[in-house]
Amino acid sequence: MSQNHHIGNAAEDLIKEQFELEPSLEQIVWIDSDKTTEIRLLEINPETPPLESVLAFYFPPYEELPYATHIAEIRPEVWQKILRHEISLPEGWTLDNYKIYSREMVTV
Amino acid sequence: MDIGQLQNLFKRDGYRMTERQHWQIAFLKQARSDWEAYQRTSPAVWPACHRLLFLQMASEKLGKAVLIASHSTLETIIQSHTAFVMFMRVAGNNQKLQKALGMKKAQQRAQFKTLLPLAHEIERLAPALAQGGQNPEYPWKEASGNILAPADYPFPLMQRLHQTPHGIQLLNYIEFFVKRFEELFM
Repeated sequence: MSQNHHIGNAAEDLIKEQFELEPSLEQIVWIDSDKTTEIRLLEINPETPPLESVLAFYFPPYEELPYATHIAEIRPEVWQKILRHEISLPEGWTLDNYKIYSREMVTV
Repeated sequence: MDIGQLQNLFKRDGYRMTERQHWQIAFLKQARSDWEAYQRTSPAVWPACHRLLFLQMASEKLGKAVLIASHSTLETIIQSHTAFVMFMRVAGNNQKLQKALGMKKAQQRAQFKTLLPLAHEIERLAPALAQGGQNPEYPWKEASGNILAPADYPFPLMQRLHQTPHGIQLLNYIEFFVKRFEELFM
């Protein structure tokens, strides 16, 4: 991945890699996909510990992925609660623009 | 670069640390202090409960120090006791860590996965997660009706941490993260 890689391609490459590395991942939600400065992902994984909140981790940019990345792992039922606004997203994250990826979408 | 050097660098460059950065540094300092306490409490002298309490606190604050760099609310982070396992689950995405460990992403993720059961055991030592059962801080009642003080309980987890390859590896990683936090996570 080159430095000038478009954030959309970078995010989709990262999402594909996440599916390859984690067999139990069901879906990945790219939150605020209109943002051009950082990538925010919700990874929906039934194996993640049950939590009634969203804990996002920060990963600094690096050569192959020159965008700050924030990743939170959540269980499928937490995603449903987020959609119903029963659980809040991290500060500044919205449901205004999001894309949902399944394994089939990125591995075909 | 340690915390002092980091603070000096911020001052020198006229950079004003945000409140979240102050929180991150404070969590890191406390994680280091808890880890030092864990190492200094000799197993020959100290009951396992005290050592495990320090270990649980060090690992929780380590996870929280990483979490604070992202966008979760401080209230969510501070109230959570599950930061360490979540941290171990996603640490495979950290490129600096991969380079420092000389591993590929898949290798790193696979290796951290093998350590998750022990990380869970450490995390569940937090009294808030122990659901009235075994924990290193407060007495609990066993199914038999016996009431036990943590100081009287041998905590088999301690043996697994110090005498199995996964346990030793997990402790080595915690030490590595605590010592090289600024380089790996900031």
